[in-house]
Amino acid sequence: MKDIAELALDIAASSGAAYADCRVVQRGVQALTVKNGSFAEVSSFEDEGVGIRVIVDGAWGFASVGRVDADSLEEAARDACRIARASSRLRRHPVRLAATPVAVGVYATPMERDPFEVSLEEKMDLLIRADEGMASVPGVTTHEASLEFVREHRFFASSEGSEVEQVIVESGGGLDATATSADEVQTRSFPNSFGRHQLCAGYEAIEAMDLAANAERIGAEAVALLSAPPCPTGRLTLILDGTQAALQVHESCGHPTELDRVRGDEAAFAGTSFLTPDLVGRFRYGSEQVSITADATIPGGLGTYGWDDEGVGAQRTVLVDHGLFRAYMSSRETAADYGWSSSGAMRAESWNRIPLIRMTNVNLEPGESSLEEMIATTAHGVYLETNRSWSIDDRRLNFQFGTQNGWEIRDGRRVGLVRNALYAGRTPDFWRSCDAVAGPSEWRVWGTVNCGKGQPGQVIHVGHGAAPCRFRGVAVTAAG
Amino acid sequence: MGLSPPDDLAALADSILERVGRDRAEVVVVEHDRALTRFARNQIHQNVAERSRRVRLRLMGDEQVGVAEIRGDMEGLEDRLIASAEAARRLAPPGEVTPLPRPDAGSDGPVAHTAATAECTPEWRAEQAAAVASVAAGAGFEAFGACETSLTHTVVVNSLGVRRHAESTSASLLCVTRGESGWGYAARHHHDAGRLDAEAVAAESVETCGRNQEAEALEPGAYAVVLSPYAVADLVGHLADLGFSALARQEHRSFMRPGERLMSELVSIADDASHPAAMPFPFDDEGVSTRSVTCIEEGVCASFLHDSATALREDLPSTGHALPMPNTYGPWARHLVVAAGTSSPDELLAECGRGLYVTRFWYVRDVHPLRTVITGMTRDGTFLIEGGRLGRPVRDLRFTQSIVDALADVRAVGRERSIELDEGERALLVPPLCIGSFAFTS
Repeated sequence: MKDIAELALDIAASSGAAYADCRVVQRGVQALTVKNGSFAEVSSFEDEGVGIRVIVDGAWGFASVGRVDADSLEEAARDACRIARASSRLRRHPVRLAATPVAVGVYATPMERDPFEVSLEEKMDLLIRADEGMASVPGVTTHEASLEFVREHRFFASSEGSEVEQVIVESGGGLDATATSADEVQTRSFPNSFGRHQLCAGYEAIEAMDLAANAERIGAEAVALLSAPPCPTGRLTLILDGTQAALQVHESCGHPTELDRVRGDEAAFAGTSFLTPDLVGRFRYGSEQVSITADATIPGGLGTYGWDDEGVGAQRTVLVDHGLFRAYMSSRETAADYGWSSSGAMRAESWNRIPLIRMTNVNLEPGESSLEEMIATTAHGVYLETNRSWSIDDRRLNFQFGTQNGWEIRDGRRVGLVRNALYAGRTPDFWRSCDAVAGPSEWRVWGTVNCGKGQPGQVIHVGHGAAPCRFRGVAVTAAG
Repeated sequence: MGLSPPDDLAALADSILERVGRDRAEVVVVEHDRALTRFARNQIHQNVAERSRRVRLRLMGDEQVGVAEIRGDMEGLEDRLIASAEAARRLAPPGEVTPLPRPDAGSDGPVAHTAATAECTPEWRAEQAAAVASVAAGAGFEAFGACETSLTHTVVVNSLGVRRHAESTSASLLCVTRGESGWGYAARHHHDAGRLDAEAVAAESVETCGRNQEAEALEPGAYAVVLSPYAVADLVGHLADLGFSALARQEHRSFMRPGERLMSELVSIADDASHPAAMPFPFDDEGVSTRSVTCIEEGVCASFLHDSATALREDLPSTGHALPMPNTYGPWARHLVVAAGTSSPDELLAECGRGLYVTRFWYVRDVHPLRTVITGMTRDGTFLIEGGRLGRPVRDLRFTQSIVDALADVRAVGRERSIELDEGERALLVPPLCIGSFAFTS
């Protein structure tokens, strides 16, 4: 890999690049799905290629090729330089990069059990047992259990002398049970929706999920939801479980603190941000209970690594400190606009995409409460679990989320299951209404595997540490 | 752009089939040459190109199936692909395996393809961006957007004799324009890059942006609406995903009730992969010819889309709407065509009388799939309609609305249609619509 990268950098330099970096990526994915008692998918995906990013005449160019030989590399490096020259035709200000230390080293995801060394038989046995558990519940009409494992070996080198090699391993799994009636379709997922929960970890992460032991329970919950009453409507106290809190953080704090959105780089697609730079250090984003960090160093998170895809070291950035908006996630280019240093959040989906500012692990820091205490001190409200729908505007202010499961709370007790719950609000009003966050014992790192951004589109895996949390006076209703 | 000659891709696929030596195997080879120039604040800020090849092998036997896919032209590709697929097949639990399709009589056309699109250069894309930026700057605005061109070769072969090949192109130019206090939007998509017309895209976006300044808040509620084709594409794409697939019906999660009128008789929706304006493509991911299927006919639920698996369950032929098999998603509509009406843009506004004009929706997601309830935001230009004419801008609103209910209340359909690409990059040929009531919730 090192030889390939150095060759690409040499060609880029001889083609006029003032700066160049090269990423060589090998990726392997194994996916297994059992649906309705028979297998739906046993597949493997291998991916290999090189991406070369250059600055020529003050402008960016990028070319990628899925062939790792000298001729292809030379063509790609020259293409990148030609593309950069074309970019410079419509460029008023030359690209500037914030300084960063030259990075040299290796990083590998810590793990106890390499998932690619675990036999397919063991994995299939787990899926079949989990699928059977869901199928055992009368009324469950569709049931699906899946596993996915990723190993990514990537080498980054830059014309500034950085050379880092990383091996990232991810393990994920999940269950979905669906029950239907004439006028309802209800699905329950475990441990999270969007197909699975995933971590940067070995097979021990799958074992810890205990999928088979939870299969019957989520099947029963899907069936029970068919006849549950609709979620109550009104300005209510809202308690979110950790998975929904993670999504709330993702959409309403993670995305608006991406500095490229603030600059307008994503205005044509993903949108901009209500968190403008003049608000740093002055804007009350949330209540005193709300502290949010972007931390690429925590164990297990899907945004945990040694260096980002610009060779900037993994770090922890406090985005919101006890309610006060403090900082952004940034790249070398965006940070340079403000005289800051990069927060090390540039990530590319694979070799064929440029790095963009992406979430690392954006975490709602643990508080001092507990789910039990929050429920016990709620007169009337709802406790909502597991995301079902999500939508937010292009500035990340106006949101509406729905969940699979809900419990009505009266006088400090869960009094019954409710279905089709929706809640809506405006980001700062919502976070300012937060009056409790559960403590470290209920705080978990969740994996989000469907975060999309950019043109051409890139889907990246990000992490979110979160615990159950409570909000007062939220607009809650039922869908449909 | 430079891709392998089609014969080379077919030879690769044949070589894999021959080496597998099984009587039930399928090879799909897709080669891409794709470039995209992105601009923001009247400058190019990202500019990328990708050349890649994906080879996918589906192996079947002993009631087992295994799949392997490789992207990249790596050493020992054929050996690795075959070994991975065979390992997966051997360990898959035995069960019902959908047979491979046999050759049908379909031809490898029509295909959305223009040779000149494949020759577009980074300099040409930069010229399009510059043309858009120039118009925006001339109006005192900033332009943001992207110009993309791509060439794709697709080969599908299987051991029962299916042999399909297509060479397709696509080109897109979109522009979001920013003024002091509001935005505008325009986009064009075509297989012929020469038809994008950067000046027209910029002029439309700038015109919307110019009208969309100093928007005022509007009380949420139910309003009559005129939806632009951009917005209609979002509605129709979500409707198709929620119910047009035979798998959705088989799993009891489709809103469709065959033979029953659920929508206005002004509404007819088909998936027509041969329509010349809908980015035509002749076959699906199994190499089955894609047939035109009318899903909604004058408001009445008609037919469903099938792949081999759903078709087998109902003893029907596949309609050629398969995604890579096997999968849990089911058949997918890729060429949605909504029948045109008779109304001019002014007549749509007049029919609306008082209500809202929506340029575009954003972040549309399902809320209650069976009832086709979705939510999303308006974006880049929402305007009051008063006295049957376009009026002042209003701030973006969230809607939460049943698509079926909205399409049951269609008052008029535009006579001019345009081609849109939704988030899944599928083509939709759609007209603007006037709808009697649409629920804006915050």
